[in-house]
Amino acid sequence: MCETCGCGEPGEFTIHNHNHDHYHNHEHHHDQGHDLTHEHSHEHEHDGHKHSHSHAHPEKKVINLNMDILAENNRLADQNRDYFEEKHILCLNLVSSPGSGKTSILEKTIRSMIASRKIFVIEGDQQTTRDAERIEKSGAPAIQINTGSGCHLDAKMISLALEKLAITDNSILFIENVGNLVCPALFDLGEQKRVVVISVTEGDDKPLKYPYMFCSSHLCIINKTDLLPYVDFNTEAAMNYARQINPDMKFILMSAKTGEGIQEWIDWVCSQKI
Amino acid sequence: MHELSLALEVIDMAGREAEKNDVTIIREIVIEIGYLSGVEANAFELALDLLVKDSILENAVKQIIRTPGKGRCMACDLEFEIKQMLSACPECHCYPSEISGGREFRVVSITGE
Repeated sequence: MCETCGCGEPGEFTIHNHNHDHYHNHEHHHDQGHDLTHEHSHEHEHDGHKHSHSHAHPEKKVINLNMDILAENNRLADQNRDYFEEKHILCLNLVSSPGSGKTSILEKTIRSMIASRKIFVIEGDQQTTRDAERIEKSGAPAIQINTGSGCHLDAKMISLALEKLAITDNSILFIENVGNLVCPALFDLGEQKRVVVISVTEGDDKPLKYPYMFCSSHLCIINKTDLLPYVDFNTEAAMNYARQINPDMKFILMSAKTGEGIQEWIDWVCSQKI
Repeated sequence: MHELSLALEVIDMAGREAEKNDVTIIREIVIEIGYLSGVEANAFELALDLLVKDSILENAVKQIIRTPGKGRCMACDLEFEIKQMLSACPECHCYPSEISGGREFRVVSITGE
C-alpha cells in the first residue's frame, strides 16, 4: 500500500501518476496485437491395466508442456519493445544496488537534455514517490511504480505504466528499476539497452559477485568518481572483472555530482539506434 | 525475492494448462531449473511449497531437474560442464569463450487426472 496516498493493497504494486503536463498529451494506442507462442502440449493417454469390476477410475494424463516460466513476462516485454519501436522511443533500463546514484544521474541528464529531447521516466521503488518527485522537479514527466514487497519491476508493470504516461513519439524513456542487483536481472522489461550503475564506494569486485546483472547489461556506469581519493576502488580491476562476465561491456566513468562523464553518457544515449 | 513471483507464475500456468487439458487434479509437476538460469532452486522450492496451498498443485509431487550449461575454453578448446557463472576450464583454468544451455527455467510436464 502506498504510504503517500494510501492507494493499493498489501502485496500489490501501485502506479502513481501525479505528474504535471510537461509536454502536449498525444493520444496513443498501446498495441495488444503482438503474440508470442512458446507453448506446445501433447497429450498422452496411458492405457492402464484392465479391470474386471465395473466402475471406471480416472486415467492419469501426462501433459508435456516445456513451457518457459518467464514466457508471459517475455511476451509482454516484446510487446513493449514493439510499441517503443513503432513510436521511435529509446527505452533504457537502469539497474543497480540501492544508492549508486541512478536518480542523481537522471536529474543531471534531464537538465542537460531537456531543451533538445523529450524525456519520460518510470521510477520503481518499494515505497514512496520521492524519486518521481525529484525527476519531476528536474523537468521530465515521471510515473512512480511502488512494488510494495516486490523486489523488481516486470514487463506487466511497465505495460500498465505506459498506458498512463502518454509518451510522445521520438522521445527517450528511462526506467529506473528497483535498487537491487539480483532480481531485476531476470526480467526483460522491453528495453533496448540495459545500463548497470555501480559506485566506487561499493567495491571493485561487484561484477564478480553479481554476474547475472553484468551479463545482461550493455553499459556500465562507474559513478561517484569524485570519491576515488577516499576509497580503495581499483577502476581498472572493476572493468576487467566486468569484462570477464561480459566481454562486450562498455564503460563510462562518472560523477553525477561534479558532472564528469555526463556528456559522454549523453553522447552514448544519443548514439543508440532504436 | 523474485522466486515468489516465479512460483506464482508456475501455479497459474499449471492451472491454465490443466484446464485446457481437462485435468482437475495434478499429481506431479516436473520443473527444469538450469544452473545458469538466475533462479535460486532452493528458494524457488520453498516459495512453491508456501504458495501451493489451496491451489491445483496442493497435492502434486514436485520434481526439479537441474541442468548445467556447457562452456568451450577460449584457450584449449575443451568443452566442459558449467554449474555457475565464472567457471573456469578444469584443464587450463581459462574462461569459456562461449556458453550454451543451462539457462532454461520451464515447466516440463504436469501429470494428473
